[in-house]
Amino acid sequence: MRRRVAPIVASFVGVVMVAFLWVLVSAEPNAPDDAFSPLVGQPAPAVVTTTLDDAPFDLARRKGSWVVLNFFNSTCVPCINEHDELLAFAAAQQDEENPAEMYTVVNDDSDEAVTEFFAANGGEWPKLRDPDGAVAVAFGVARVPETWLIDPNGVVRLRIAGELTPSLLDEQLASLRTAFGI
Amino acid sequence: MSARVRASLWVLLAAAFAGLLAFGTLRESGPLSQQDRIDSISRRLACPTCSGESIYVSRAAAAESIYAEIARQVSDGQRNDDEIIAYIESRFGGQVLLVPRATGIDAVVWALPVAVFVASLAVLGMAFARWRRREQSGPSNADRQLVSDALTNEAGKES
Repeated sequence: MRRRVAPIVASFVGVVMVAFLWVLVSAEPNAPDDAFSPLVGQPAPAVVTTTLDDAPFDLARRKGSWVVLNFFNSTCVPCINEHDELLAFAAAQQDEENPAEMYTVVNDDSDEAVTEFFAANGGEWPKLRDPDGAVAVAFGVARVPETWLIDPNGVVRLRIAGELTPSLLDEQLASLRTAFGI
Repeated sequence: MSARVRASLWVLLAAAFAGLLAFGTLRESGPLSQQDRIDSISRRLACPTCSGESIYVSRAAAAESIYAEIARQVSDGQRNDDEIIAYIESRFGGQVLLVPRATGIDAVVWALPVAVFVASLAVLGMAFARWRRREQSGPSNADRQLVSDALTNEAGKES
């Protein structure tokens, strides 16, 4: 009896071990954080909120232009570091035939702190309120800064997690305009 | 106790075990309050910026935003618990799931303990059967002959 059971048990354990090994070997590695989002290629989530100037904002009504959403917090060092890049990007867009629209989404920060930051550092684009984090959750934003590009058809095209490097936003938008012809 | 009675008792025990297991798994625990649902869902999701903490436990900004979203969706009443979890997963990816899915490769996590349990029962059953056979089998004719020869020899020595 023992002679018959032992090979069966050993074979079973062996098969399980080989199966686990196969899963480990064949599993896809995690995508790099700056590229992956289940939303890329999907219609942008609904964003209905107000600006810090109390003007209504509805993302669905921004179709026809490229939209840049930059999730921001005035105490976050990478957000402060990338601010000059955003200013340069916004200035460069003024020369475009169909300029991208730029929006800051306030993340876990007070209206006063954000207003003060932009008054001191520049940046005339609208700032969107997100008091309970609904916009951040809709985009899957866990840490700021994050920058999202949405095409004129309302489809999410790019997520950049972390601090923007020089000219990154200009280059990415230019290549997306070329790739999608819009 | 006869073998038949013993077998019946085992069958009864197995039926009671299966019945209680099914009852415990399938019974409705009554209507949950909205807060119970929010807490239950937030315990099944991981904070995306913390290490191993659930949304329920974490006080990180991202976790609190997700908690607020869960509360909003529960309050809206448009989605059930699984659909709310699927929504959060669709935004943050599968790494926010604290409880593995029952489909795909994740199902191994659920299936493996069951497979091990069934295999253990089978091995135990075989071991019990072997012990019983060993218990029931008396001395063979060769054994009897051996003892008889030994006794005869002993008696011869004494005389």
